[in-house]
Amino acid sequence: MLGISRREMLASASCGFGYLAMSALCGKHSFAAGASGIANLSARAPQLPARAKRVIFLCMSGGPAQLDTFDFKPQTGKKKHPGSVFNFAQHGESGLWVSELLPETAKHVDKLCVLNGMHADITNHAQSFLQLHTGDRLRPRPSLGSWVVYGLGTENQNVPGFISIYPSKPSVYSSALLPPVYEGTPIGLNTTNMSTATINNIKSDHVPVAVKRRQLDFVQAMNREHATRRPDDARLDAVIQSMELGFRMQMAAPELLDLGQETKSTLARYRVGQGKVAGTCKDSDFGRQCLLARRFAEAGVRFIEVNHGSWDQHKNHRADLTANCESTDAPIAALLEDLEQRGLLDETLVVWGGEFGRPGLVPEDKKDSTGHNARGFTFWMAGGGIKRGLAYGKTDETGARAIEGKVHFRDLHATILHQLGLQHDKLTFQQGNREFRLTGTEGGKVVKDIIA
Amino acid sequence: MRKRITLISVVCWFLAISFYVVEPVWSAKKTAAKSDHTKMDPRQRVFFENKIRPVLVKKCYSCHSSEAEELGGKLRMDTRDGMREGGESGPTFVEGRPNESLLIQALRYDGLEMPPDEPLPESVISDFVTWVKMGVPDPRVDIPLIAMKPTEETVAANPELWSFQSVSNPEIPVVQNEGWCFDRLDQFTLARMEAAELTPTHDASPVRLVRRLYFDLIGLPPSAEQVDSFLVDYQRRQQTAVAALVDELLASPHFGERWGRHWLDVARYGESNGNDGLGRNPTFPQAWRYRDYVIQAFNNDVPYDRFLTEQIAGDLLPAASPEERDRTLIATGFLAIGSKPAKAMNVNFDMDVVDDQINVVSTAVMGLSVACARCHDHKHDPIPTADYYALAGIFLSTETMWGFAANQPLTAPETPLYVLKSKHHYVPPPDSGAQPRVDKHTLSRKKKPKNVYPPGTPLAMGVREKKKPVDCKINIKGESKQLGPSVPRGFLSTCNILQTPKIEARQSGRLQLAQWLTSSEHPQTSRVMVNRIWLHLFGQALVRTPDDFGVYGEPPTHPALLDHLATRFRTEGWSIKQLIRSIVLSRTYQLSSFCDEQLLEADPENKLLCRHNRRRLDAESLRDSILAASGQLNREPGLGSSIANVDELVNKAGNLHLPHQHRSIYLCLLRHSEPPELSAFDLPDSTKPVGKRNETTLPTQSLFLINGDFLIEQGQLFAKDILADPKRDDAGRVHLVYQRALNRAPESSELERALALLQEVDKELKTEISQTELRRVTVWATLCQALLNTNEFRYVD
Repeated sequence: MLGISRREMLASASCGFGYLAMSALCGKHSFAAGASGIANLSARAPQLPARAKRVIFLCMSGGPAQLDTFDFKPQTGKKKHPGSVFNFAQHGESGLWVSELLPETAKHVDKLCVLNGMHADITNHAQSFLQLHTGDRLRPRPSLGSWVVYGLGTENQNVPGFISIYPSKPSVYSSALLPPVYEGTPIGLNTTNMSTATINNIKSDHVPVAVKRRQLDFVQAMNREHATRRPDDARLDAVIQSMELGFRMQMAAPELLDLGQETKSTLARYRVGQGKVAGTCKDSDFGRQCLLARRFAEAGVRFIEVNHGSWDQHKNHRADLTANCESTDAPIAALLEDLEQRGLLDETLVVWGGEFGRPGLVPEDKKDSTGHNARGFTFWMAGGGIKRGLAYGKTDETGARAIEGKVHFRDLHATILHQLGLQHDKLTFQQGNREFRLTGTEGGKVVKDIIA
Repeated sequence: MRKRITLISVVCWFLAISFYVVEPVWSAKKTAAKSDHTKMDPRQRVFFENKIRPVLVKKCYSCHSSEAEELGGKLRMDTRDGMREGGESGPTFVEGRPNESLLIQALRYDGLEMPPDEPLPESVISDFVTWVKMGVPDPRVDIPLIAMKPTEETVAANPELWSFQSVSNPEIPVVQNEGWCFDRLDQFTLARMEAAELTPTHDASPVRLVRRLYFDLIGLPPSAEQVDSFLVDYQRRQQTAVAALVDELLASPHFGERWGRHWLDVARYGESNGNDGLGRNPTFPQAWRYRDYVIQAFNNDVPYDRFLTEQIAGDLLPAASPEERDRTLIATGFLAIGSKPAKAMNVNFDMDVVDDQINVVSTAVMGLSVACARCHDHKHDPIPTADYYALAGIFLSTETMWGFAANQPLTAPETPLYVLKSKHHYVPPPDSGAQPRVDKHTLSRKKKPKNVYPPGTPLAMGVREKKKPVDCKINIKGESKQLGPSVPRGFLSTCNILQTPKIEARQSGRLQLAQWLTSSEHPQTSRVMVNRIWLHLFGQALVRTPDDFGVYGEPPTHPALLDHLATRFRTEGWSIKQLIRSIVLSRTYQLSSFCDEQLLEADPENKLLCRHNRRRLDAESLRDSILAASGQLNREPGLGSSIANVDELVNKAGNLHLPHQHRSIYLCLLRHSEPPELSAFDLPDSTKPVGKRNETTLPTQSLFLINGDFLIEQGQLFAKDILADPKRDDAGRVHLVYQRALNRAPESSELERALALLQEVDKELKTEISQTELRRVTVWATLCQALLNTNEFRYVD
């Protein structure tokens, strides 16, 4: 690799039990892994002063109806027009509007920065969902979480740096062209039961853990003798460390995944095991997801994504939307409450939103189906150095398109990276003769107006 | 001030032309205008002279003509041809289609903004729209002085790129220590070592050499008996014994299973489409026939030039028998097994298929990424966009047959398949293989297939000629909706090949492409393959970026050696086995991977090949070795595939993997849903050619080894096998476990350690498992699994 010995490289990776991915072919690293050519997860300083240390992305797949949640569109003029069909009220000191469907989240509205001027390029789920996660609509590209861990490493070497809970497909947590060490670890893929989902091979009861320890000691003794006779080969040391780490993950991760230590009242606040099933609304055990997210955040996981869907109410808009809100409202409120109470909200950027929004219905009209709208929709952010109690951006009077404070996914990505101390245009990865970045060739703009 | 002048000039011009009343002439006259501009409809001429030319002169010429100080966007608008050729942003218009014409988009300030100062009045733009609709009649017949096309520029930029120079046949270097060399190639490596004042490390011990040879040539560990018999023979006749073993291994049917797998990486082999971008992943139930073709080709040592020709144009080769015909048809599966993005909402779908084919041919065979040139001239390598579209024409004139695509037209339209004619094909029985979980939602959306084949018909993926071959028009910025001039079918213009095969109008050009690639003058084909073979024998290639021989790839560490081997490879009949034989019988290959510190410091990366590189077993060899140690390996070829009867979406069908004990190459290689026994260890994602796999060290791999079902199960079976012989005592059994797993006896300290492990685990498990016999298996399984997890087992010196 670049004229330094493997041993020096290993030393430079420091981190004792850091994840070491000796990736001989992982390309030329422009930024994070530096000249050593090693891909690793050891925590590293950001490029800029950071406002947030980690991200929790509350991913609402299917296109949440912004006009019936956060972007209040009352009737104006004489003729009825599309707008909000649920009741809204102002909440908190900020007086932000929140729909009656989200009574628990409404209590925390002063923590939120609501982005009503979001817009995207395409009104097709798969492509827009992929663009939300990777910046690209069709091709396999690294996920936002992979970029973040590539840039910053992770704080706790006993658990993965990027965890994607209940993801719909691998492409949204894929490291793609980044070295595989930055890939997200899924918990509960696809249609698995989220109430019991876990990490692959993290547990096995074939023998008691004491036997496994004894067995590993035997393996490691042989490995050390083997490595001692081959002092030139740092990979062998890396394997020894990684075996140990796997073993420790086996100890640490199940504990993190085990909600048994949580009090009954906590489980109740998060509504663990109480997901709704109604029409498009699937039981994602969103309460367990949010509580896991808090536990992972506490454990120092860098990027955590939780998922709920589907918000795609092509029919039974009112009933299904109500169920979706009900499934997610209390868990999100509990998460915000706990993060604040534990002093974690300042350093944890919480992001809520989906791949696009929906057009509004006309109140008192019988029509109860909504389509997709990518020209104007809502995200919100909380914590991580973002202004509190602010509504930023605007859609027109029917909510059809963003007209003020427009924020594209690229801008959202640039802003998230910025809060973590990463510059979206400098966080690059060279593969072959191309330089890749999350915000692509078009680049994004950091939304400075919302930064506290 | 400037703005005001512009405004005035527009107004003046507007007044001037408004005296003319001209009827617009619509697209009926388009063909006339296209075919011969000198015989122009007089009314069109009047229209041009009055409505178009004045605007061009006043608003465009200052930047876009021979008068311009600096030609804007390399676009000339003062000649008919200049406008037709276009500039940097591509051709100025698409005849008859104003909305797709760059000129109109620019005037409308949609994307580009022209003229830059301010938009022209709506009515003027509408005249230009009319003009484009007419077919852009233009009477200007000036001699075209087109701005220099990037083609020439790009080529000129890199005339020296080593990989585009002809392969030389270098003199064998003179070395001081000639006696050290076994093969001519050793003189190339030794000369470099001597020049650096280094001496090669010692030879590998025969016991290490035999293990290395087994893994390198057939991907399996030797048995204890095989090791012993080699050691005896080596004692007797040294290099003759090595040569005898090498010949035996090259003749083994397992050779093709090892080396075929290397080629499958490069051929981006997969048994399903992979995620189409919309989450859908249809199976390819016939892909395994191509896998078997590759294994067979390596076993039969089909000459590499022939091997390539069969894969690119097998359908166009003469065939002496139905068997031969079928074989060459299956070979073209190479071009059909690619991963495609979804057809839905994707106007570029056809070109995406072509792109995959260009990519696999150029990367696998030439070590070049031509794909960048789809959208723009290659920034660094001498590959202009026109070359990409010359190749694209070949594949656009080719019909690609991937099959049913799970009857999901949104993913890919259904195509026919080859019906194989020979009687000897294996057809998986209809009830064999995986049982997909059938999803009602998917089923209801299924279309009835157009192509119906009776059950039991042997089918294969592949390609064939389209009825009407076509040249491909340049897709501006890679978009099929914006078309530029058409490029005649052909090859890379920068490779100096004197006798470029001529493509007839009725041919796609695939056969000629294969001839061109395998021509004796081709600068990359032989080098790239020699380099790939070297990589798999040394763990590090001579060109360390085996898929990139371009400007950004690494230059060869031993350019003369690379050319020497490339020349030998070509002149000795493109025989892969012969080349491998020469390399493994060289002194350089047979060096130890151990060396003294001095050597290590002098050349930490081992660029001078003073020693061998230690290597980790890849996913397939690891699994095969585990099965061999546990006694479970079935050395017969696996037949068909677990999905041979499954035409479904992998993402909907539940688990489609069926465990079996055949070698790993026969496991079902679904894209984005790899076999669980292999997926922890850096399988390529098989959507693009991969010459060298990643080698990561991750804790999830440790978890796979510690807790994975496969390891636990094999540990148990291994233990049962060991315990089956009642005559042995525990020490004898430990001895056997070491022999089976590591090909050696335990040292006395190791024996003690193993016995201690057994004892302690037994004690630990007493309360857990009261039944003695059951406990005994678990206790021994703990030891067996432990040995399978060691680095000694997983690395080859």
